[in-house]
Amino acid sequence: MGKSKQVGNHKNDKRKNIAKTWKTKRRTKDLDQIHADMKPEVAAKLLHQEVDYDVTGCAQNYCLHCARYFVDMKSLKDHFKTKVHKKRLKQLREEPYTQAEAERAAGMGSYIPPKVVVVQTQPIEEDMN
Amino acid sequence: MRIEKCYFCSGPVYPGHGVMFVRNDCKTFRFCKSKCHKNFKKKRNPRKARWAKAFRKASGKELTVDNSLEFEKRRNIPVKYNRQLWDKTVEAMKRVEEIKRKRQARFIMNRLKKGKELEKEEVISDVKRNIHLIKAPHAGKAKLLEDKMVQKLQEDVDMVDDDN
Repeated sequence: MGKSKQVGNHKNDKRKNIAKTWKTKRRTKDLDQIHADMKPEVAAKLLHQEVDYDVTGCAQNYCLHCARYFVDMKSLKDHFKTKVHKKRLKQLREEPYTQAEAERAAGMGSYIPPKVVVVQTQPIEEDMN
Repeated sequence: MRIEKCYFCSGPVYPGHGVMFVRNDCKTFRFCKSKCHKNFKKKRNPRKARWAKAFRKASGKELTVDNSLEFEKRRNIPVKYNRQLWDKTVEAMKRVEEIKRKRQARFIMNRLKKGKELEKEEVISDVKRNIHLIKAPHAGKAKLLEDKMVQKLQEDVDMVDDDN
């Protein structure tokens, strides 16, 4: 089994201050939160948000799985084709890790392996107007 | 008061130790050491971190399903103190721990047996494949050829004898 090893973040020109990205101030959604978002009723709400001028693209172009807003439909569609998005979908295919699982791993009850969840990119809704 | 389990590595978090992170949806996460906390902040998956207990269980390195694992549980019902019950419980805990340790050790030993078998097979196939390094392909051929020649000559001599 190969380990996925990412090397060279500290010297990367694109990511200037990596310690800052881990601050709670800049915290992004966790995978289990996204799993909660993927429930149909929540997802519908997130995908049809009201116009909010403070958010990128007035909160009209949201990627549910990456928890990211986009400027317009085109950039959202382009994002669906990217490695970042596909990688995220792959990560979401596993059931989220919980405290209960941590306890089962510690020997409190038998360990139940994580289930596989079917995750697909949200359907694109074309605006005819 | 209870000994909690670390969210990341599943180690014990004793009262007064570790860090608790409360996410803005009120979900709490306890960490036994800063290493676990840092890894959580980096959004690492405990199932992928080789040193976390979840990895070892998820990838079949340790005993996962067993009756001896069913004793330790999060029980949310308080039990009234009773000296006899206390003594018995402590005794039982020791016994359960002993059995658990034995079973876990046996599981690991059985798991490692397969590697030994594979190693043996590998060695045998290696010898078979590279036998020419031990025994040269032409070794003994010269002697064989000589024997054949002698035999043929003998036959020729015999034939000549027969003709006469």
